[in-house]
Amino acid sequence: MKHAQSRPAPLSPADREILRMAQTDLPDGPAPFAEMAAKAGVSEEHVLDLLRRMKDSGEIRRFGATLRHQKAGYSANAMVAWRVPADNVDEIGEKMAARPEISHCYIRVTTPEWTYNLYTMVHAKSPEDCRRVINDLAAYSGLDDYDVLLSRKELKKTSMQYF
Amino acid sequence: MDQFDKKILDVIQSGFPLASRPYAAVGEMVGMTEAEVLARVRALKQKGVIRRIGANFQSRKIGWKSTLCAAMAPEDRLDAFVAEINRRPGVTHNYLREHRYNIWFTFIGPDRETIQKELDAITQATGIPILNLPATRMFKIKVDFAMGGDG
Repeated sequence: MKHAQSRPAPLSPADREILRMAQTDLPDGPAPFAEMAAKAGVSEEHVLDLLRRMKDSGEIRRFGATLRHQKAGYSANAMVAWRVPADNVDEIGEKMAARPEISHCYIRVTTPEWTYNLYTMVHAKSPEDCRRVINDLAAYSGLDDYDVLLSRKELKKTSMQYF
Repeated sequence: MDQFDKKILDVIQSGFPLASRPYAAVGEMVGMTEAEVLARVRALKQKGVIRRIGANFQSRKIGWKSTLCAAMAPEDRLDAFVAEINRRPGVTHNYLREHRYNIWFTFIGPDRETIQKELDAITQATGIPILNLPATRMFKIKVDFAMGGDG
């Protein structure tokens, strides 16, 4: 039987070189993919094919501009950890994920010290907006057992260098 | 940032064209020339609104593991603890939060064992225990922000 999530085929050195460029910042010019192609010694079509293929397969989750939230006007964020009964956490998670104010929604393992199982990330223009959104979410989901973790300071934010 | 900047950002966060002349393609969508779009994108980078333009990988699909970690760091040991965490390339996000668990960071590694070993090394160096909270189900990751540049 084939694995549902088969491992991607090994990448050629040229493809790794392309992905090393793609994981940082595109060359600054009107034809960035041609510039990448020249550096990797392949055709522009090869670069575009590789990126399109990895985007279609979901290996590239998103291709585009990453913003600094603060400068884009979304200066506040809060993580909310919810304690949800195991038998309806899937249903509640799906409901939460449907809300546009929520950027991330996960079920995570619990530990004896930390027993929350559902996590949502809320981004908003101010801490007050964050709290208002969270109150709405609590009302919407019918959950009252949760903890709010407002951000006080960003200590690190970078993109992973996989290649 | 004006309406045109916002329109451009609404397009290029998730839909940066994988095309030979991407800025010309964006220009067609928002009603500007290639040169105008490129100039605005450069200015938005200069101002720090755009951090980078490129690929964001789904770590799981390319064979990596990720987790969320939490710790209670006493005020007087905070800086040393944060330095010990942040110097590791697998740590991509780290936030100080208003909570008794005041440090929350993400860790990406080739496998679960390597990640746990790194966390143990941080604890060994600092004496601060770390909770390792990998996801068991992911419902949503959405990291583009509506700029309201439609119309």
